[in-house]
Amino acid sequence: MPLLEISGLTKDFGGLRAVSNLSFGVEPGEILGLIGPNGAGKTTVFNLVTGFHRPTAGAIRLAGAGLVGLKPHAVTRRGVARTFQIVKPFPKLSVLENVTLAAFLRHPARRDAEGEARRALEQVGLGAKLAAPAADLTLAEQKRLETARALATRPTLLLLDEPMGGLNPREVEDASALVRRIRAAGVTVVLVEHVMKAIMRLSDRVVVIHHGEKIADGAPDRVVQDPGVIAAYLGKRVA
Amino acid sequence: MRRAVPLAAVVLVLVLPWLTASQFTLHLAITVLLWTVLGVAWNLLGGYGGQVSFGHATFFGVGAYTTLILYLKLGLAPWYGMAVGGAVGALVSLPIGLVCFRLRGPYFSLATLAVAEILRLVALNWEGLTNGPVGLLITALPPVRIASRPIDWESKTPFYYMVAGLALAAMLAAYGLARSRLGAYLLAVREDEDTAEAVGIDTVRAKVVTLALSAFLAAVAGGFYGLYFRYVDPDAVFPIALSVEMVFIAVVGGLATVAGPAVGAVFLVTISELFRERFLVGHLIFYGLFMMLAIRYLPEGIWGGMRRLFSRHAPS
Repeated sequence: MPLLEISGLTKDFGGLRAVSNLSFGVEPGEILGLIGPNGAGKTTVFNLVTGFHRPTAGAIRLAGAGLVGLKPHAVTRRGVARTFQIVKPFPKLSVLENVTLAAFLRHPARRDAEGEARRALEQVGLGAKLAAPAADLTLAEQKRLETARALATRPTLLLLDEPMGGLNPREVEDASALVRRIRAAGVTVVLVEHVMKAIMRLSDRVVVIHHGEKIADGAPDRVVQDPGVIAAYLGKRVA
Repeated sequence: MRRAVPLAAVVLVLVLPWLTASQFTLHLAITVLLWTVLGVAWNLLGGYGGQVSFGHATFFGVGAYTTLILYLKLGLAPWYGMAVGGAVGALVSLPIGLVCFRLRGPYFSLATLAVAEILRLVALNWEGLTNGPVGLLITALPPVRIASRPIDWESKTPFYYMVAGLALAAMLAAYGLARSRLGAYLLAVREDEDTAEAVGIDTVRAKVVTLALSAFLAAVAGGFYGLYFRYVDPDAVFPIALSVEMVFIAVVGGLATVAGPAVGAVFLVTISELFRERFLVGHLIFYGLFMMLAIRYLPEGIWGGMRRLFSRHAPS
């Protein structure tokens, strides 16, 4: 059974259909890349899965249990954590406090929550910056802080919204290695990304959406040869 | 330093009645401590949680009326009435929170303002319960003996110790809250509600629970007010000015600090008394001017600013 199963998912914003009859599954232990041109509806899919938007139609199941209608915090409690495309650390709080907030979800006592937060920060390589205010971190570090915050909620499924956007090639390498480590630790990962080289090398499978519809679903090397995908990215004439 | 300041403050509060024979000074001290409780109450939600309520008079008034109504109609001693009043205040806050917290930012603030106005009008018109604009009056307080000595209700000293105990309890509650899981959740809510939800925080619940705690404290303070002045009427306990003053106390003292509201209360009561003495007419103009200066130049509040100064010079 897929860990996450999306079927017939549709979202209208007024007259605009942002996501249209979208169906795909995510297998446990998979790294799935969700790609598509700007405005294809990738972030909307994340918002629908995590309860920030309510679908117009369709079903979202995590290990068989429906997620539609749950508030975001309840979705997180079920084991789905996310990061945001535009990083949103709490700038005035320290790195450790930022992550401890999230760790409180599974650990009511502060000491246990801080322990969990330290583990998550070690995992993403921020173990040396615990006391720094989040505002003082570089963009790459802030993205890792967000990932640590998501990990501290002990998810089974992690949704990363552009974890490599705005990073230099070296940082992209580090971010890819981090995603692999997270999967190795038993967390299933779905990522939205525009850095094509990275996502093609990292993903086990890629789902391509365009105008809210799925146009391809398969192994990365197969998908890049798909005429429909090439047309979506480069225009019909090239294909 | 960290321990010495609060300890010295507590000792000063405890011995103050021995230091002065003036009933007026004691009255001012009672006023300061009452405002401290209210500032702390408001600060739980407004300072830590970032939810600016302009309607906390709602809970103050509910506490005051509950205490007096229970005493005058049912004969329940007002000190028990204060506790019941606190509980009623917390109860009343639940539907208010569930409705008002659907709104964010200034819309929330305006909704709370409206709620306080509604309660004032209810108190004004529900004459069977509240006596309407005439108000409720306690003519005599029940006799109490402590260590077989009767308490003199004509003196201000027993009231002073009562409100000092309340202020201390309120500050301890704020200290505990700031270090609890709920305190951490409130920080997250204040910083960014979407992110808070994304890390699994039930933001509505965190806000509603905090509002209930805050309302409880404000209502107990209202009960004390009724007991001390032995009189309540709708304009005394539900006015907008009262709600606004609570905001000022916390903002001038220091948002999201334990001691801030106490500092704010000392400052604002002193200032308002000074101006009232000097300028009988128009003293509120100076008071308003001072408020503007404080917000412009001390955005972290007096206590917040002092704390920053100390932490900068302290060896870390």
